[in-house]
This record gives sequence, C-alpha cells and structure tokens, in this order.
Amino acid sequence: MSGCQHQWEMANVQFGFVVFEKCSHCNGLRTYFCVEDRPILGDKYREGHCFWARVENAQSFRFDVRCARCGQLVKLDDLMGFLECTGCLPDCPVELLQAELEPTRTWILVAFGFLSKERTLPLEPFKVDVLTEYFNQRRDTTRSRIRIVSFDLIEDLSRCQGQFIHDVGMLSLEPPPERKPLF
Amino acid sequence: MTTEDLVQKVGLEPLSRFEPRGVNGVFVSDMLSDVMANAKSGNLWLTVQTHKSIVPAANLVDVAAIIITGGKQVGSETVELASKYNIAILSTQLPTFELIGKLYKLGLGTS
Repeated sequence: MSGCQHQWEMANVQFGFVVFEKCSHCNGLRTYFCVEDRPILGDKYREGHCFWARVENAQSFRFDVRCARCGQLVKLDDLMGFLECTGCLPDCPVELLQAELEPTRTWILVAFGFLSKERTLPLEPFKVDVLTEYFNQRRDTTRSRIRIVSFDLIEDLSRCQGQFIHDVGMLSLEPPPERKPLF
Repeated sequence: MTTEDLVQKVGLEPLSRFEPRGVNGVFVSDMLSDVMANAKSGNLWLTVQTHKSIVPAANLVDVAAIIITGGKQVGSETVELASKYNIAILSTQLPTFELIGKLYKLGLGTS
C-alpha cells in the first residue's frame, strides 16, 4: 500500500453527452458517454429483441483523478455522474445516512455507474472513497463536508426520485418545464 | 470580502438563508458540468439557471454563493434546498455582464 497522503486533482477532463436509451420491448434503460460536440439524435434501432430509442441527451463530463504528489491515476471512466438524494423514500438507507450525518454538516451525493440493459454497473468502493477524498480536499471542510456513496445503497432504484446533476435541455432555446426522474 | 459585504455593496437580494463567508473569486457559467469541473471553493457562481440542480452542484464544489442574474425568478424549491445546505442564493436585476463589471471594480476576478 502506498504511504502517500494523496492530494487529488481532476485529470483528463472530457466534456460530452450522457445518452439515455430506453427499449420499448423490455423497458430496459441504458446509458453511455459520448465525446461529441453535438447530441446523438436519430431513429429507433433494433438490437436482438430490443428496440432502442434515445430518451435524453444530457451534457456532462467525465474525468479521472490524479495524485499531485505521487502521480497515481484513478480512472473514473465508469462514473456516469452524481445524484442528489431528494429524501423520496423515508426508509432508503441513503436518506437514513443523510439524516445521521446532517448534524455534522456532511452532505451525501450518490455516485452512479453507467446503466447497462440488465443493471447498473458497479463502482469499485475504492473509487467511491477517492471521490469523497477529492471533493473534500477541494472544499473548506471547516464549514461542511461531502460524502460520496455508491448507488448500491439506494433501496429501490425503480422508485428513486433523486436528481442527477447534469445539464438537461441546454441545447434548446426553451427551458424544460421541469426535470423528470429517470426511473 | 464576504457574501454579506457583497449584498451591501452591489445591492444583491438574498433569497436563501446562509451564514456569511469569504469570497475569493468569480466563476461564470450556465452549465453544471462546467461548474463541477472548474469552479473553486469560495467562488461566486454567476448564472441564469434557476432549477433545483444548481444547488447540489454548488454544494459539491463549495461555492460561496450562487448569484442569479438578469432578474430571473427562482422557485421556492431551489431556495429551500439552498437554505438546507447553507448556500447563499443572491439575486440581481443586473445582466451578467454588468454585474461582472461591478465585481471586477471591487477587486474580484477569477481565482
């Protein structure tokens, strides 16, 4: 194990789009990141029994983190983004943890991997810890702290009303009337 | 300079509940991804975005305040969430460009 007291910095920042696709046959949802300067539109397409259609293009970014002291690079290309818990499910472990940490001014954000047809791809616990370290190193922790948790903690993804922090509708001249939950 | 000083000197309207804190620079963007990638702790974030997601983005990178320019109306959900996180949402009728000029005269720039 490295003895370095890591000082993380954002590295390899790429701006692009998170593309959300839904299948009208199996009702599956999947996402991927694309580095394009314009959103991917287009028709439905077939893949096996599935008929995929794009339901949303959200402008977003991906990044890695690198230690400024020892140079260790942590690749985060499997990180889709962060979700803010809205407290929609009172028994959800994320909400319970938020209630526990709130008196210490520690705020939770949920890190999401990309969605495959079958399930959300897992994020390694090590990467979740590095993200927590990174965002706390970037802030004044005498005022408040950030705790990143993995989406695995969400009790029921299908009922989660959490809000992704990404740019929706930025390519339209008209703002969207409201943000809709993805699940 | 603190967020409270700015409220007085620039005539900003506080919308959320917050504790005053030091300000070290200005970041201007209407994209959450840009803010999360490039804004710094203690920055003022100038934007015309008012939806609720600006609050967790601001909280993630620890900005000192979100300033909504151009007199855009901010919904109560956004204000309540900012109060919960102790994040200042300040409002001004000034367009972004004019506000930047005032902040620059006060000695604030990019940090």
